[in-house]
Amino acid sequence: MKPVQRLSILFTLLLALVLGAACGKSAPDASSAASSGGGAKPKLVVWWFQWDPATGLQELGREFEKETGIEVVVEQIPLASYQEKVFLEFGASRSRFDIVIGDSQWIGRGATKGLYVELTDWLPTVVDLATIHPRAAKYLCEYPEGSNRWYAAPCETDAVGLAYRRDWFEDPAEQQAFEAKHGRKLAVPTTWEEFAEVAAFFQRPEQKRYGCALSSDRAYDGLTMGVQNLLWAFGGRWHAEGSNKVVGELDTSGSVAAIEFYKKLVKLGPNGAERLDYGQVLEQFTNGSTAMICNYFAFFPGLAAKFGDKVGFAVVPGHNGKRVASLGGQGLSISTRIPKEQQELAKKFIAWFLQRKVQEQWITKPAGFTANADILRSEAFRKASPYNAAFADSVDAMQDFWNVPVFNELLAVTQRYVGMAVDGEMETAQAVKELAIEKERILKEAGLL
Amino acid sequence: MTYRNERGLTWGLVTPALLLLVLFNVFPLLYNLALSFTNAELVGDGARFVGGANYARVFSDPLYSGALRRTALFVCCAVGLELVLGFAFALALKREFRGKALVLTLALVPMMLSPAVMGLYWGLILNGNYGVLNQVLGELGLAQPQWLTDRGLKFWSILLIDVWMWTPFMALVSLAGLQSIPPHIYEAAEIDRAGAWTVFRRITLPLVAPLLGLAVLLRATDALKQFDLVMATTGPNDGATQTLSTLLYQVVFRDGKVGLGSAYACVVLVVVIALATVFTRYLDRLKGAEAR
Repeated sequence: MKPVQRLSILFTLLLALVLGAACGKSAPDASSAASSGGGAKPKLVVWWFQWDPATGLQELGREFEKETGIEVVVEQIPLASYQEKVFLEFGASRSRFDIVIGDSQWIGRGATKGLYVELTDWLPTVVDLATIHPRAAKYLCEYPEGSNRWYAAPCETDAVGLAYRRDWFEDPAEQQAFEAKHGRKLAVPTTWEEFAEVAAFFQRPEQKRYGCALSSDRAYDGLTMGVQNLLWAFGGRWHAEGSNKVVGELDTSGSVAAIEFYKKLVKLGPNGAERLDYGQVLEQFTNGSTAMICNYFAFFPGLAAKFGDKVGFAVVPGHNGKRVASLGGQGLSISTRIPKEQQELAKKFIAWFLQRKVQEQWITKPAGFTANADILRSEAFRKASPYNAAFADSVDAMQDFWNVPVFNELLAVTQRYVGMAVDGEMETAQAVKELAIEKERILKEAGLL
Repeated sequence: MTYRNERGLTWGLVTPALLLLVLFNVFPLLYNLALSFTNAELVGDGARFVGGANYARVFSDPLYSGALRRTALFVCCAVGLELVLGFAFALALKREFRGKALVLTLALVPMMLSPAVMGLYWGLILNGNYGVLNQVLGELGLAQPQWLTDRGLKFWSILLIDVWMWTPFMALVSLAGLQSIPPHIYEAAEIDRAGAWTVFRRITLPLVAPLLGLAVLLRATDALKQFDLVMATTGPNDGATQTLSTLLYQVVFRDGKVGLGSAYACVVLVVVIALATVFTRYLDRLKGAEAR
């Protein structure tokens, strides 16, 4: 055989191998031992991002271990890289986690790509679904919406809320000055117009004191989560009710007015307020410079601990009587990339966690926001922390961004176009128009429209 | 040694390297090429052959053309600035002076640090609100620009960080080139009463040029892959700073579109190979001229 022939055969084999690998299916590796196998102590690994509720869940996990002998390890992943890490794990034949506490927006991807174990038949056997707050059930656990197909059990219910400097608001000199200027009492704002007025009043850069800080980061979803509280309140919406139609739904005067108003609010903050991630929004408050922030309630335990009675909490403001808060919770989903016996252990933990007595313990943890509607309404919950009452009042106003499998692409274009509008690089009306067209393109490509 | 034994020894010595090359270079390359014709996703089972659909998308995608334009601008400006500043720095360092070793050591520090760590540090330094730079500017009564958030500024801020990091590399290579020029050439020029500008134009620059060319090639290919600094300062989805690498990251790791991302990568590879070929030919020509 000539060398050229040998080389041709070698490359043909290599190409066949490559094509086979590219188009082949990856089979879950059932042989990779679960930590429960081989006589070792059974162990469950839960992945969540790094924040107070994860620490609380770890504490509950120790209780579970005492009762069952199954060790629970809650691994806290930095928020900035959480999504990438989780989905890279799903790309492997065996995920390093057994349970993932995934963002509500991921559920479409998790359900349709075969990443989350379907819990439709099992979940109603361990919890009365009627006890789960309908918004938590709809956004955290079910896909598609209204299908009664469950891919997660509710873990953390969360929403954007308002934190304000109670001591500044109650300062007689400030109250007098505000009343003299605006002809009304200085009070916690209930409308975005009042919010802007109060923010403008406290905006004193020469004293290093600022009016407000809202999430506006462009790296992941900060800007979108910050804007959509206004978008919905001003009558805008991401898509039509009950359908994925976007053109004619998003590109409306309500959406334009909301983004324009948001642009005004960003100017009533510190330098660089047009690009603050959730941590930086908190930082603006904890460094004592800002009067009001809007952020997820589950980030608030640190504020309550640091400021005590100098901080107050409230529901996000509204517009023309409509208040809507960005939902930010997560559900417990079982990975399909683990052996069956490990999935059974995961179900055991979830069933234990959903018990009412455990949910009553959960609310005693920092930002342990249950989805149990009864507990949410209870005085015990409202009094469990300084921010719980405001959170309980926000639950009925929660709404979520897209949770379809292509949510990430929808999020990326939203961040880009809304960012261009906020930065003044594009007229807001033009930005929402182009955004609507772009979103429909993505949805059509994904077969969702 | 017989011919047969000699051939066996040759293959025995070459095979390990060849296997490694196939395993880590050829296979991933071909695998990437194969993926670019499928709708493979980061998660989910299987992938379907989609023909040239991904390539059609690449060439019609304004995001891609934007990132390509931005990357090209970045490479030209960053490498150009680094070359000029680095060469000037090397000229200054060519002479002997007290403390030269210390200056050289300190100058090399930025280059030896991880770009990701530097990106995070510079993110803190350039933070519009509490960054050190703006604090200092504020104390001096000067304007405090939003280095990493102002749409017109952030790209240039990242570029400046890159220039800060890699100018020492250009200086080091230039210095090596300058020091390799035999002193007798300068002595001959002095005897001929050649002026400083003539010496620089006719002796220094032509003799250092091949080495500088190599340094430019290395830096340009590195700058083409700009990722760490952008990720650490503005993130992968910022329309004003998105480079080809961060766009690829966004497409593959955020959107999960591995097939499309592979097509992006293949096109980038072709561009890089084309540029590298043009450049190496230019270097060969320079070397040829030098030999003559």
